[in-house]
Amino acid sequence: MSKMKIGIPRALLYYYYFPFWIKLFDELNLEPVISDNTSRELLDKGVKNSLSEICVPIKVMIGHVLNLDQKDVDYIFLPRFHSIRKGVVFCPKIIGLPDMVRHSLPRLQAEIISDQIDSKSDNIAQLSNHQQLAEILSIPKHKMKKALKEASNFWQRYRNLLYQGYLINDFSRIEDLEVLEKLISKFENEKKLPQSQRKDIETPGNEKIVDIALIGYGYNLSDQYLNMDILNKLKEMGVRVHTFSMAAAEIIEKELAKLRKPMFWEFTNKLYGAAEHYLKNEQVDGVIYLTAFGCGPDSILGQILEVDAKEYDKAFMTLRIDEQTGESHIITRIEAFIDLLRLKKENN
Amino acid sequence: MRLSFPYMGPTIVYKKLLELLGHDVVMPPKPNKEIIDLGVKYSPEFACFPFKVITGIYLKLMEKWVDTLVTSGGHGPCRAGYFGEVHKKILQDLGYDVEIIVIDSPHDDYKYFYEVIKRLKGDSSWLQVGRVIKTVYQLTKVLDEIEKKVEILRAYNDKGTINRIWMDAQEEFYQIKNTADIKRIKNKYLNKLAKFDKSIPAEAERYRIGIIGEIYVVLEQSINNQIEEKVNRFGFEVERSQYLTDWIRENIFPFTGKDLEEIEKKGEEFIEADIGGHARSNMGHAIDFKEKGFDGIIHLKPFGCLPELVSQSVADDLSEKYEIPVLSITIDEQTADANVLTRVEAFLDMIKEKDYREVM
Repeated sequence: MSKMKIGIPRALLYYYYFPFWIKLFDELNLEPVISDNTSRELLDKGVKNSLSEICVPIKVMIGHVLNLDQKDVDYIFLPRFHSIRKGVVFCPKIIGLPDMVRHSLPRLQAEIISDQIDSKSDNIAQLSNHQQLAEILSIPKHKMKKALKEASNFWQRYRNLLYQGYLINDFSRIEDLEVLEKLISKFENEKKLPQSQRKDIETPGNEKIVDIALIGYGYNLSDQYLNMDILNKLKEMGVRVHTFSMAAAEIIEKELAKLRKPMFWEFTNKLYGAAEHYLKNEQVDGVIYLTAFGCGPDSILGQILEVDAKEYDKAFMTLRIDEQTGESHIITRIEAFIDLLRLKKENN
Repeated sequence: MRLSFPYMGPTIVYKKLLELLGHDVVMPPKPNKEIIDLGVKYSPEFACFPFKVITGIYLKLMEKWVDTLVTSGGHGPCRAGYFGEVHKKILQDLGYDVEIIVIDSPHDDYKYFYEVIKRLKGDSSWLQVGRVIKTVYQLTKVLDEIEKKVEILRAYNDKGTINRIWMDAQEEFYQIKNTADIKRIKNKYLNKLAKFDKSIPAEAERYRIGIIGEIYVVLEQSINNQIEEKVNRFGFEVERSQYLTDWIRENIFPFTGKDLEEIEKKGEEFIEADIGGHARSNMGHAIDFKEKGFDGIIHLKPFGCLPELVSQSVADDLSEKYEIPVLSITIDEQTADANVLTRVEAFLDMIKEKDYREVM
């Protein structure tokens, strides 16, 4: 019997959890099918099939779901992320995503599996988070437990590498489990530090190296089509990029504890903690805040960071991306920003 | 302490509450073009419209030397629960030294809640506080009762006459001191309105529109382009999904919102999880309106509202399944009156036309 095909859209939390899911489905003897990389065509489909004023990441997600549906998958895996920390939830649109997909894309062929994820930590490998999956595919409990454990361990290794300074982008183009496993082992045994930590990176014309904290959600930072490959552009300019996934959990906790009331959204809080940490960090020259059109939590966070950046006297730039962003616009803005910072650094 | 609060719906209720507790209260200005422009200027671009309006109101209040603002909190995931914190940042950044008291649910932070209540209580005794709350709740209930009546009668009578009575009533309620006053004024105005009762046609000829959506734009006439009056103008009755009484029942008094819970349950068919705001209960209200025999739904939401974007996404499906037309209108600083009017008129025409054909 051929394996059941289960589709995973390459959008939103995919970037944070994909090693977990790929490993999990492999252990369960299912064939994970991942939607194509974001492209003009895919994005256009998403835009066409969603409300015009909804945020870009959701439009991207809708595009990926439609893309999967064309790949003849049996199921589409679309967990309802509700909470991965006590008292903190996700953005309403992420919680309501399965409802939106069910009721606004009536012509979808594949069945949607949407387990509600409620966890106390970033590790989502609890059995209760995968009941629908087990039920629909009639997976026995012990098998599910074992697979979850394996997947969780595998994901932990990936997460640790991110803490060490690797970018999600270093992994996220890989869909094959074996290749991914090899790459993770390779990085784990690597003597050379990741780009964000290295001292001796090359810059065009041997100028000074600039340290930038690029604050933005995993799905905005890592979708190379959507953000015009900003990470590699920065790298080419001789910039060490720091992102939220590199900030240790304790640092983020410490920053959040200073607020009377933390924000309600999981990753927004993570970004806040990381951003505050980088704003205070002497080594970081400037902060670029990458946000997507129509993002609600970002409108709140952006305002807070803007005020705080002024307080810490740190260079701060907001870069907004949407489905119409032109490449030259991004390049011009980051070039100007980096040049200014470099000039400032060299004059000192 | 010179207090004020954001402008939403029947503001007289909040004013009365704080005043009866013995505070120096400044009435917030009603949102207008100037206030909205001011708010837009100093708010983040993608903040939702209510946020911008409130920023404008706060800035205007700063001119009146207000030093303390009282607002409601929340625990998400809707952004509204975090407004207070961000407004504080914005006002401080602009150089205003002002305190914002956020009334959060006692479940979130018991100690903070207790302190806030103790401060708002001032010198009044707990017994007095109890009495004040009872009076104010009574007032809210009465105001909502009269308004519901107005929303029906305005459809069949001269708009000006009915509005006059409604405005006079609100004016007179400002003077109340106790529940006896409320009762007296209530009877006076309900009697005045009762004279128009015979203008209501036979059941088969009545058309009703339910208004659902985000609470601020549903409750606040001055920013939703007086949508209710617009609907009334074409001879349609209106009822909203939200009245202030409902909000109080749901959030403050325990065990009184049973019927609202049942309505929200109906919405689970379309939105399974609680996604904040009133998205799910709005879907429930839409179904409830249909069951009550309403002819159409107008769905209002501020631009970029997180929960209501989800409900708008599923509204088409609901409309089809329950055979009830739904019109979604996005409200923001650029919404033009003529635009809303045209869309409402076309929508109502369509409902009448459809009904006419079915009868033929």
